[in-house]
This record gives sequence, structure tokens and C-alpha cells, in this order.
Amino acid sequence: MTNHRNFASQVHEADRRRVVITGMGSLSALGATTRELWDGLLANRAGIRTVSRLVASGIVVTTGGEVEAVPHNQIDRDFEIADRAIRHALRESDRNPAECGFIWSTGLDTFQAGLDDPAAFVHRSAGQCFSALASRFVEPQRMIAAACASGTQAVGEAFRLIRKGRIEACVAGGSSVMLTPFYLIGFAGLQAVAPDNGGPPSAACAPFDRRRKGFALADGAGALVLESLASARDRGANIFAEVLGFGMSQDAFDLNRPCEDGAGAELCMRRALKDAELDATDIDAVNAHATATYLGDLAEATALRRLLGSNWQRVHVSGVKGAIGHAMAAAGAIEAIVSARTVQTGIVPPTVNLIDPDEGCELNHVMGDARDVNARTVLSVSFGMGGQNAALLLRRFSS
Amino acid sequence: MAYFVAFAEHRDLATIRARSPETWRRVRRYNLPVQLALAAAQDVMTASTDPKSVVVISLAPCQPGSAELYRWGDVVTSRMLNGTLGDLRMNPTQTLHAVDNLAMSAFAITFGNHADCLGLGGAAGQAWSGLEAVIERIEDGAEEVLLMAGDQDQASEVAEGVGIALLFSKRARPFAPCERPVRLVRIERHPMDRSSGVIPHAANGLSDLVSAVASHQSSSIAHEVPPQHTDGHSSVTVVLETCS
Repeated sequence: MTNHRNFASQVHEADRRRVVITGMGSLSALGATTRELWDGLLANRAGIRTVSRLVASGIVVTTGGEVEAVPHNQIDRDFEIADRAIRHALRESDRNPAECGFIWSTGLDTFQAGLDDPAAFVHRSAGQCFSALASRFVEPQRMIAAACASGTQAVGEAFRLIRKGRIEACVAGGSSVMLTPFYLIGFAGLQAVAPDNGGPPSAACAPFDRRRKGFALADGAGALVLESLASARDRGANIFAEVLGFGMSQDAFDLNRPCEDGAGAELCMRRALKDAELDATDIDAVNAHATATYLGDLAEATALRRLLGSNWQRVHVSGVKGAIGHAMAAAGAIEAIVSARTVQTGIVPPTVNLIDPDEGCELNHVMGDARDVNARTVLSVSFGMGGQNAALLLRRFSS
Repeated sequence: MAYFVAFAEHRDLATIRARSPETWRRVRRYNLPVQLALAAAQDVMTASTDPKSVVVISLAPCQPGSAELYRWGDVVTSRMLNGTLGDLRMNPTQTLHAVDNLAMSAFAITFGNHADCLGLGGAAGQAWSGLEAVIERIEDGAEEVLLMAGDQDQASEVAEGVGIALLFSKRARPFAPCERPVRLVRIERHPMDRSSGVIPHAANGLSDLVSAVASHQSSSIAHEVPPQHTDGHSSVTVVLETCS
């Protein structure tokens, strides 16, 4: 099977250059389906909880966003979580992997204790996990590695390839297994995760809030089927959203912290707008990166206010990490799925745990209740540790 | 059209330390693959017309760890077993090595580069995806594209490593290893019987490619990538042309 376009086709070239989403699958702390994710977000519910196996280890952080559908002691958990999301997306799209490219981030190598011998240190390679997942797909097969921006870059890279006519269809997204002591200790050392504080674990991650102390690490996966509008129409596929633009940038500032004025973040958003031939006034809602880190949220809010200009009080802003935690390589893909649901339904879900926006984080935050505001165009952003920034623009599909 | 402009390769930290103290100062905090990739990138940037705007494609290592990181892994595992993880503090650089496409971020900081970028992960055969992405970026209007990679034979003990950097331009310029312009035409792939001999490595295949280009005399080159440098699913041929 080939994934390369037949340029002799009679389909209009304008249709070929439009890219749509026809399938989505996700696993997160809110459930093993995209419906559970969406319903949980609309209900302002957090899936973050105490992870009992961490309590016994004496570690300082015991909360996280665990995917309960796949047992934590399953040795190929990294593959299984990704594979389930991919299968959901393909089934929803009625697509065969043998006719799709595969652009995916398996995120980070997994470091965990051995199952047969708990004293053994087990290393599972993210690269090998990617190769195993990719083997069912056709070219291109690209493994994305851009830290927390990986999932968004995977979707953006697939979008570019389809829009330029290089391929017809692609599965894109990311997956991560993060809830291991190795990463919890590591991110605690970077002062990026919220430490246990005696409060309810579901409130651990509070983006943009005065009380924020960092994110909750999470496992998860998000998979999207992207294809040309021509292909989707030919197949009679159900279209969830259209992808309009994508932008990348680098902070070139610091490995551990964002540029405080948000310049790098703003640059990738402006590139996405230019790519989509849109203006900031066209944006109805933003799916924010919203990690609940002190500097990260400040930089993001600053960048968004500057991007949106005098319009910033009109544009609805929300983020999902308060509900599901930070699933690293999966985060951007899951957020693209939430953005697609937003433009499909017009409803912007709330930022779970945001009650009292901090000084400097002023935005038109969606708090408490979801807003049914007929949102048609959403900007979804991810900012990676190390300074890699990515932005996607999605719009409600209209023929 | 994507033309090769410059190539650099590093295998030896002692040489970097001795010949370029400034480069060594910049890279010494990282692990071996990142050190070698950054040193190579630093070298080829002398041929760039504008390092701030070069599009960067960075191949993360297939063996991303280090002996130190594995020692941390052992410490975490043993202390988890006896319930004493509470006061353990890990060197943040180890976490960054595990999380980030670190060479790309460090390169951007060094050169003040805010340009478009692509981070590719440490899976077998991604080097050829990197070359495809070079062609695409140049076709889409980039003036120059940097492809950089560093990797090592093993991550869990002291190992041999390789770092390479290739600079490409949309404008034909003589490529130093063969003193003529060399154009990257396309990457051809064909399904093959699943190869069990794949040795995942971000840099070795590209190093071999440049050696083949340098030793080739004809104007058209079809470099067949050895199976151990592929993804194990497809054979890969890199098609190039030399120009007079």
C-alpha cells in the first residue's frame, strides 16, 4: 500500500490542501476513552489521585494522573497505552494503518523496578516502543522528541506533510509512562511537580492559580487520524475538526525555565497564525499549556495577552492539566483532541482547580463551569522544557 | 534543492577539550552524545550565513542515558525497596537528559536560534527521516537547515560515541569532503524482510553516508544504507548528485 498521493486524481487541489481530523483516541487519568476525558472535563472533575504504590516508597510526591485501564505492573505498559489510543482513533476513522503514515512521540525511556526482581533496574527504550508501534504503518514514520511539545509537534508535522500534498493520511500523537519514582524524583528536583501538601490529591495541580506549586505527572496517550479533506470526503468520513496552521519556535533562553516575557511562546503562536493566514482576532478560545509551574504560567499568560492584544478579555482560556496531570509527550496530542471537541461542540471546558487566578496570570479563564460559547477556532499550545514551543490552530469544519 | 554545505564529526572529547576550550566549556555538563553532537554543530556553523535563522533538525540519541544516569537508576530502585526515597535528590541535568532533545535546546541557546525546528527521537532509522525533513524544509523555503545527531554504543557504561552535524543550503556551494556541490535528491524506501540486524544509532549511518559521498567519483550517487542502519522494515537508498 502507498500513502503517497495520486496527483492525477480529479479531486480539486483546494480540497487536497485542507487537512481534517477524522479519528481520535485517548487514555488519561479521566478514563480510557475520549468520551470519558471530555465528560470529565465538562464536569470540572480531576482524575489525579494518590498512587498507593508510591506511598510505600517514602517518596515526597505521591499524586499523579494514572491510566487505570492498563495495569501499572504490565511490563509493556508503554506500548499498550499507546496502542489502545491508536486503535481507538483508527476505528473511529475507519482507517487501516497500512494506508497511513505514523508520526508519534513515545516520549521518554521508562525507568522502573523489575517485576520479577524488584531489585533490578529496568530500562525500556522509547525508541524500541516507537519501532514496535510503527511497524504496522507505511512511511513516513517519524518519532518526535521535543519534550513537552512533542505531541503538538507530531500533529503539526503530520498536518504539514498532508497539506503540502506529500502524504494522504497519518496517525499522529504521543504517549508517555511517567509515574515512576525515577521521574517523580527527577521532576521534584527541577521544582516542577507539586509536592504532597496534605490537601486533597485531586487539587494538586492548579494552573494559573495563586496556590499553584507545579504539575502532577501523568501517564497517557492521545492519537489523531489526520487526512486530506479530499480523502475524507472520498471515504465519507466523519470530520471532527479542521487543522488550519502550525508553528514552532525555540526560546533559546534556558534549559530549565521559560523566557519570562514569553517571547518564544508568542513567536510559535504568531507563526501558527501566519501559517493559517489568520489574525489573533479570529481566535475564540485557547487550550493553554497551563502546567501550574510558577514561571511557566506567568510566561504563558504574558505571551497570550500580548498575542491577543486588546482582545484578550474576550478569548476563553482553559487547560487540562489540572484534571489529568502532565502526560509529557502525550500532553499536546490529548490537548489537540480536547481542542477538536471544543470546536466541534462550541463548548470550552473549565480549567480544573483554578479558583483564584494569580497576579500576572490575568486571562479570560474558564473556571468552575464549562462555557457554551460557540467557539469555532481554537489555539492549542505546548511549551517544552528546554524551550521548544509548538502551536496548532483548529477550526470547526465547514465545507 | 538541498545542497550539502558542511560536515563535522567528533568522536573524542579529549580533542574537543584540547583544541577548543570554549566549545568544551559549553558542552561539558552534558552526556556524551549531546557533547559530541554540539561540538560538531558548532564546527559547521562557521559555514552558515546566519546561525540565528538556521532551521534545526536534531536526532535524539538511541542510547540517551549515561553511566551516571544508570547509577541514579540503581539508587532509586534500591531505596524504593527499603522505603527511603524521601530525601533523595537527583542531579537535574540527568532528568533533562531523559526528558529533552537536549542538543537542540542547547544549540538554540548557544546561537540565539529561534527558528523552526524538528526534534526526532531515538528510534532506529530516524536519520533518514531527518534527511527527508531536510529536503522538505528547503522545498518549503528554508535557506539553511542543520541536521545534527549524537549517539553512543551503550548508555550504561563508558562507551564510544559519535557526534555529527550536516549543514544544508538551498544554494549550491562546494561541499568540502569532495570539493564539489552535492545535491540531496531524494530518499528511496522499499519494504524488506524484517531485519534482525538493526543497530539503533542516530549518527553512524550519516557518518557512513558522508564517507561514501567523499569517496565517490561519479555525478550520480545511490547510497544503499546498510541494513543495520535502517529501521528494519524498509531498505533505504539515499540518492545524490554531484555538480561541477
